Amino acid sequence: MYAVLHPSNFFAQAAARQRPDLRKRPFVVLDGEPPTEMVFAANHAARSQGVEIGMTRLQAETFPEVVALRRVIEHEHTAHATVHQVACMFSPRIESVEERPGTYALDIRGMDLLYGDVAELANKLRRSVMTAGFLANIAVAENFHAAISLACGRTGVSIVPSGCEAHAIGQLPVTALHLAPEHEATFAAWGIRTCAELAALAETDLIARLGQAGKKLHSLACGTWPHLMFPIEPSFEAGLVERMELDFPVEELERLLFLLSRMTTELLERVRGKARAIAALRVVLRLDGGAQHERTVRPALPLQDTATLLKLLQLDLETHPPSAGIVGLELHAQSAAPYRAQHGLFLPQAPEPGQLEVMLARMRKLLGEQRVGSPELTDDHRPNAFRMVPFEPPPPRRNERQSLSTPLALRVSRPPHMVGVSLANHAPVRVFWDGAAYVVRDAAGPVRVSGQWWSEANWCREEWDVRLENGTVERLCRIAFDPRSRCWYLQGTYD
Amino acid sequence: MPSATAIRVQIESTLAQRVPAALTLKIKQAPEVFASGMAEVDAMLGGGIPRGTITEVSGPSSTGKTSFALCTLASITQLGNACAWVDVSDALSPETAAASGVELRRLLWLRMSAERRTKLTDKPWSRLEQALKATDLLLQTGGFAAVVLDMSDVLPQHTQRIPLGTWYRFRLAAEHARTALVFLTQSPCASSCATLSVRCEPAAVVPFSSQGETPLFEQQQYQFARERNRNEGSPFQQRKPVQRASWSAETLWSRVR
Repeated sequence: MYAVLHPSNFFAQAAARQRPDLRKRPFVVLDGEPPTEMVFAANHAARSQGVEIGMTRLQAETFPEVVALRRVIEHEHTAHATVHQVACMFSPRIESVEERPGTYALDIRGMDLLYGDVAELANKLRRSVMTAGFLANIAVAENFHAAISLACGRTGVSIVPSGCEAHAIGQLPVTALHLAPEHEATFAAWGIRTCAELAALAETDLIARLGQAGKKLHSLACGTWPHLMFPIEPSFEAGLVERMELDFPVEELERLLFLLSRMTTELLERVRGKARAIAALRVVLRLDGGAQHERTVRPALPLQDTATLLKLLQLDLETHPPSAGIVGLELHAQSAAPYRAQHGLFLPQAPEPGQLEVMLARMRKLLGEQRVGSPELTDDHRPNAFRMVPFEPPPPRRNERQSLSTPLALRVSRPPHMVGVSLANHAPVRVFWDGAAYVVRDAAGPVRVSGQWWSEANWCREEWDVRLENGTVERLCRIAFDPRSRCWYLQGTYD
Repeated sequence: MPSATAIRVQIESTLAQRVPAALTLKIKQAPEVFASGMAEVDAMLGGGIPRGTITEVSGPSSTGKTSFALCTLASITQLGNACAWVDVSDALSPETAAASGVELRRLLWLRMSAERRTKLTDKPWSRLEQALKATDLLLQTGGFAAVVLDMSDVLPQHTQRIPLGTWYRFRLAAEHARTALVFLTQSPCASSCATLSVRCEPAAVVPFSSQGETPLFEQQQYQFARERNRNEGSPFQQRKPVQRASWSAETLWSRVR
């Protein structure tokens, strides 16, 4: 069952909505570049005086009482949004009828529990639209196109019982079917004035003369042309924005957090309504002086927890503070399906994703961005080449351990310490390090390593593994000679 | 004449209000342990390092602390657990860690730094203070099977200045989070808070091999001595656990041979 809401002469009504004083007076809406403006819409009073759509400005101005208005697209958008909002209140499934501006078709199946029977619903819908400032016709019918034709052709509320569509639209002129100009001319030539006359024609003869369009028009006139509804799905993501202007610049983040908390909660409420979670939060701070400071917080997993999101925002803004006082803030959210995991009783424990995210943010604040994460070996010949990647442990899974011998761990000196080395027969015999002198008991080397010889970042060194002794202390170290700086460095200690 | 069992039941039921199960021997639950994968050391430790407690591995440099810790982490990560390495001196070699078998993606590496950019609003944390704070955060978050606090390069006089209350707090947090907290230090500092204390001692010197033209450093011998293990079973057990264990570690290139 469809209810069609059609505000007749929509553009004129949209213009009059901004100027209620014009409702009783004749007026026209002009569109186009001056001086070639044309009449785009006119109200009933103006048309009754003889104004027609498509007249030039000069022609329209010959009517002394008619007020000329300029077309304002924004007002039309506002009017569209208002009608859309009213339609949304009565059904979750609505479709905008493209060829008739401002017209909405509502799927009202099952709405009787909320709004009473069909007649009550239609009357309530009409009253709501009138309260919003529009005069609209309402038609309720089983067939989508029949309802549209009725809403456009008959004033007030029309309700068609199931199966009586052909009879209901029979008295309407054929132009109510939204005909193409050539078909309109053809029907005029044939003397077909109403839908009932069109429906009375033989379908095969009509198809023989007009082609497939004939079949459609015949079905429309009979009220049997089927329709597949494409309900409007409003862009949920685009609406996940919260804005706030401040009266005076705010410097302290703590004071800002109260506002951010409220905005985050607001966004989260909307996101939760769709059974989703927040995957990313982008905060745009407008600063005193016109600059903008933008930060994005992207938790590893979508979150539904205000406290965690707020903590992440706070830590991120504390790590990257804005350079001036804040005069306005925007919070943009991106939603995603919430994280769900089936935990096993016998699986190893893993950090809880929300807490882990906050902990990592705290660590980054404490230690610095590049000092928190997992190491990843890079494909490089340089010993101990690695890069830091964010810590994202894979799901718990047991791996079979390969039975390898225990490797000797090297503790790397970052950066390498400079040491003094005395040589005998091109091999180190004494090492001076940290104010202490060590005797070299064993030395293995030299191992010559080099790389990147094709670029300016080339490196080369001679490495030695040495066993150092200083009284009771014994150390196993790797020292290296850099031929370019002619210095010895301590690369690391074996432990 | 009532049997001994009946008398015991009678006494226990009489005392139940004040002393529950007064005459029944309390069965101590075997602690959950993580094996290090080195048979000799595991035998000495009674299966491995215990979970939910503090294990202290102390000794001078080049006595195998890091090799042992990496080997243990390798076993733990291969069980599918997440681990953390709090690196006071920023000295971990990811290459060695990977060679030990540590799954690097399951390892959170926290590198303390002295040259961190300073902010006026922050207090200047020294590396050790940063590390203690980071460990505290890790234990509070929970979910890590093992956390290694590597203070191997910190002088004993500095570690011993850490208040005992810190270790007590860590012990409680580790117990709550079921995390095996491992300290690598030059000298013991956690005193009675450590459930298991291992001392690393210099072992027999293995000379560098000289089979080829030039000598090659191939392996090193280490020795561990157990100083304390509170998780030991009954003191009346028949076999006394071994107190010392020797083990050897090889360099990466000796694997190629």
